[in-house]
Amino acid sequence: MSYRLNPKFKKELEKLGASSQWNDCFHCGNCTAICPLTEGQVLFPRNGIRALQMGLKDKLVASSDPWMCYYCGECSETCPRDANPGELMMALRRYLTTVYDWTGLAKKFYTSKSWEFGFILFWAALVVALFWFFLPLRPDAAQMVNESGGVMINSLVAGINPDQFVMIIHYGDWIMAGIVASLLITNILNMFYKTILSDKKIKVPFYTYFTEFWQIIFNFVTQSKFSKCDDRSYWVGHLLLMTGYTIMFNLIVVALPRFQTEAVVEWYNWQRLLGYYATFGVLFFLTIVVIGRFKKSNTKLRFSHFSDWIFIVMLGLTTVTGILVHIFRITGLVEATYYMYVVHLAVLVPMIMVEVPFSKWSHLAYRPFAIYFSRLKKAAVAKQDSVVLAPAI
Amino acid sequence: MSKIPFTGVYFQHYTNGHTDSINLKQIEEYAKNIPGVALIGNSNDFPPVDKKSFVLKIKNDRVKRIVLAGYSPGMSQPFFAGVLSELGLNPSDLIICSFKEYGAIQSDETDFAKALLFCAIMGVPIETTITSNKPLVNEDTLIIGGGIAGIQASLEIANSNHKVCLLERTATIGGHMAMFDKTFPTLDCAACILTPKMVDVGLHPNIDLLTYSELKEVSGEPGNYKVKILKKARRVDMKTCIGCGICSEKCPSKAPSEFDAGTTLRKSIYIPFPQAVPNKYLIDADSCIYVKNGKCGVCAKVCPANSVRLDEQDETIEINVGNIVLATGFQTFDAGKVEQFGYGKFPNVVSSLEFERLVNAAGPTGGAITQRSQDKKGNWIFTAETAEPESIAIIHCVGSRDVNQHKYCSKVCCMYSLKLAHLVTDKLPEAEVYEYYIDIRAYGKGYEEFYERIKDEGIHLIRGRTAMVEQKNGKLHLRTEDMINSRLIEQDVDMVILAVGLEPRQDASDISKILGIKTDEDGWFDEVNYISNPTNTFSGGITLAGVCQGPKDIPDTVAQASAAASQVIQNIINGKVKVLDKSKSLEEIEAAAIQLSTIMEEQS
Repeated sequence: MSYRLNPKFKKELEKLGASSQWNDCFHCGNCTAICPLTEGQVLFPRNGIRALQMGLKDKLVASSDPWMCYYCGECSETCPRDANPGELMMALRRYLTTVYDWTGLAKKFYTSKSWEFGFILFWAALVVALFWFFLPLRPDAAQMVNESGGVMINSLVAGINPDQFVMIIHYGDWIMAGIVASLLITNILNMFYKTILSDKKIKVPFYTYFTEFWQIIFNFVTQSKFSKCDDRSYWVGHLLLMTGYTIMFNLIVVALPRFQTEAVVEWYNWQRLLGYYATFGVLFFLTIVVIGRFKKSNTKLRFSHFSDWIFIVMLGLTTVTGILVHIFRITGLVEATYYMYVVHLAVLVPMIMVEVPFSKWSHLAYRPFAIYFSRLKKAAVAKQDSVVLAPAI
Repeated sequence: MSKIPFTGVYFQHYTNGHTDSINLKQIEEYAKNIPGVALIGNSNDFPPVDKKSFVLKIKNDRVKRIVLAGYSPGMSQPFFAGVLSELGLNPSDLIICSFKEYGAIQSDETDFAKALLFCAIMGVPIETTITSNKPLVNEDTLIIGGGIAGIQASLEIANSNHKVCLLERTATIGGHMAMFDKTFPTLDCAACILTPKMVDVGLHPNIDLLTYSELKEVSGEPGNYKVKILKKARRVDMKTCIGCGICSEKCPSKAPSEFDAGTTLRKSIYIPFPQAVPNKYLIDADSCIYVKNGKCGVCAKVCPANSVRLDEQDETIEINVGNIVLATGFQTFDAGKVEQFGYGKFPNVVSSLEFERLVNAAGPTGGAITQRSQDKKGNWIFTAETAEPESIAIIHCVGSRDVNQHKYCSKVCCMYSLKLAHLVTDKLPEAEVYEYYIDIRAYGKGYEEFYERIKDEGIHLIRGRTAMVEQKNGKLHLRTEDMINSRLIEQDVDMVILAVGLEPRQDASDISKILGIKTDEDGWFDEVNYISNPTNTFSGGITLAGVCQGPKDIPDTVAQASAAASQVIQNIINGKVKVLDKSKSLEEIEAAAIQLSTIMEEQS
């Protein structure tokens, strides 16, 4: 496969947070060799720097390697040229996100603060407006307290009964999840086209699509590759965040009618325990990351793109408002519960709508699929090699 | 004055990362008031986007001459030369005013930088305004450092019939070269070249050898220095010691041998190596039992010449000299600082200097290349009895070309690594040798041919910097990206040689303070001009020789030592020392420059 040189390509990446440090690279290969995740066919980050220096845009677009990197920072720390390969991989991931996203919004969000803030404010305003016009606080809300003193959260809205309210929010969640899922799925198909189909030489054996499929689920759940990075405690923290959020997401999207009930269940009830675990997991890792990004002593957290901060702030606000809703409910503060509930949704909805399909959070899908695709490629190459090599011997 | 052509001054706003650098803005302000300056510009973003209007502006301002000023502004020279010829002017009217070249780097040298600029605008060479001649009061020369550079410079000066005092910190002259097994590219035995020179120094009537002594203080001025030297107590009388070695045989205490780079042990009363000059014993006070607690003194009892002076004390002597040659050399990089390579952790990861001793016939194993093994006490030592390594990896650029250590290239490691590879294949024809390099730098006469020759000897040259060395199942495991074939190489070897770079001596900055000369950002001594005046310093009477000025190999070191000697001899013959006096005030230099430019005009 031949590639076209694109000298202006580097400008595109610089907009996505790649500092020009990579230009200092003199190709000693230290980064590739010190990386605990490189093996056989998957060689990075030096290959990426080379492709960037040469302006091989097509090659980078077709590469799923940046997703294999979990940014332990070892390469940047030992780089003899201070070329910062780790941060370049981060910028390449941002770039690939914009490449897979067919709507073009990802690129806008990564390069323009006004686009990103505008989009967030749009969804926040939409949520607030929906509550304002269709689900206002009922006048006699103050009585909506159950025997144990907790707020009956589903009965706060005027004109509809509690079951209807839960179902409205429930369907809203499903619509949101549907939008996000369809965007992600189409982006992954795009990724599949760019990394596998566009290279005509690669003929993936059909059965491997099935035999390797477990890779997606396995890597989504365990992030086992991440655990190979030198700083394992970081992987544990990330796993806490990931499992915490996944649990919370399932509670509110799949099981909302059972989760958001009129009665405040006892503290040892499974839903509350799961909720507490999720909250702890998310907050714990977020705190570590925020401290790290401020202190800048950890290589992987030294450079912060504005999109990194937006993600952290949105996720943090969602968690904090969620906790506040919970506290207000238990303590029987009716009005505060209602308004905090609105605020919670006004943060949560934009966060999901911006981050999952278009921004940093899309890695939840791209990483496992990148591993899957690279396994497919590997299988294809292995098979083709045997075909080519056999007569040569 | 009126005839000075209109000058355009272009500034390069770059100071090479010095924190306390000269004030370029102040200099720019100053330039505006110099007569004849018609245009001040910025040379940072060159070539400009709109060249046409740029040239037009120069033409409209009737500029006839261009001065490029800045830390090191030579980069934009081709562009401006092109502009001048485009305007039909003489490209030789482009004057480079490099502040770095004349050592105007720190903020307190801003005035000197102004003077440099003034002279450049006037078209007067700065040297002519600041040079002054000091009378040479003393014809003797002090040479600091007894390595190959110091030896060569001493012999050159002494052979021209002038007195030399050669100062050496250790107990023998010879320096690093005496430790090497072979030299590249000719594969001559280093000792065979060096020892005759060492003996010459020892026997030369004009050379006064001061070994085991250190420089303490220097006062006076070029042509007439007073030097205080600390003579460390040798505790053996040099005049009567006959070098029989009985004392050493009987001595009960041991310490690592400096000469063998720590690979062997020597006694506390010892001679550094058999060919040492002077060939006299000495006592190492740090390990001597008598010095520590007053018990022992066996050496004094057995000495047949009665030469041992156990209670001798250090003394300070003072000498007067007219010139000083600085040849303090280097130290090798401490490979332990790069943790990835496991030096100091894995016994068979050795530095190149250690390997140099191992492979030497006078080394710890008598020249047999073997792996390190543990002795009865558990110390890791080299002995001739242990197994030979079946595979050896040489890792290049350890401590060099690395922003985390030294960003410069140490210049000699590629070649000595190739040499070591050859020595391995020579002694162990069955062994596999892998060289992991970033680039092979085989500059110089016969070097490329040497490289080609070693390649043909079946050595595996792999382009890629090894990222880490680990010990697995008794083997050393290396992880490297093979750049050329784009694959990851995981290689098991028995021994790893780290090609450590050269770095300035730890106390180089002390020396620079004592002598009042500058060091560059890497710590090497600064010369007047690396290209056209590489041996002189701004101190006039002090010249540089060898690696203390910057990494170089033996041929370059010898050449520079001879050049430094010629500078000294020139001073002696002329009876005066030429000094570039940077302490002259700006006004004085301005006046001198104006005076000179008027004379030049009248003559033309």
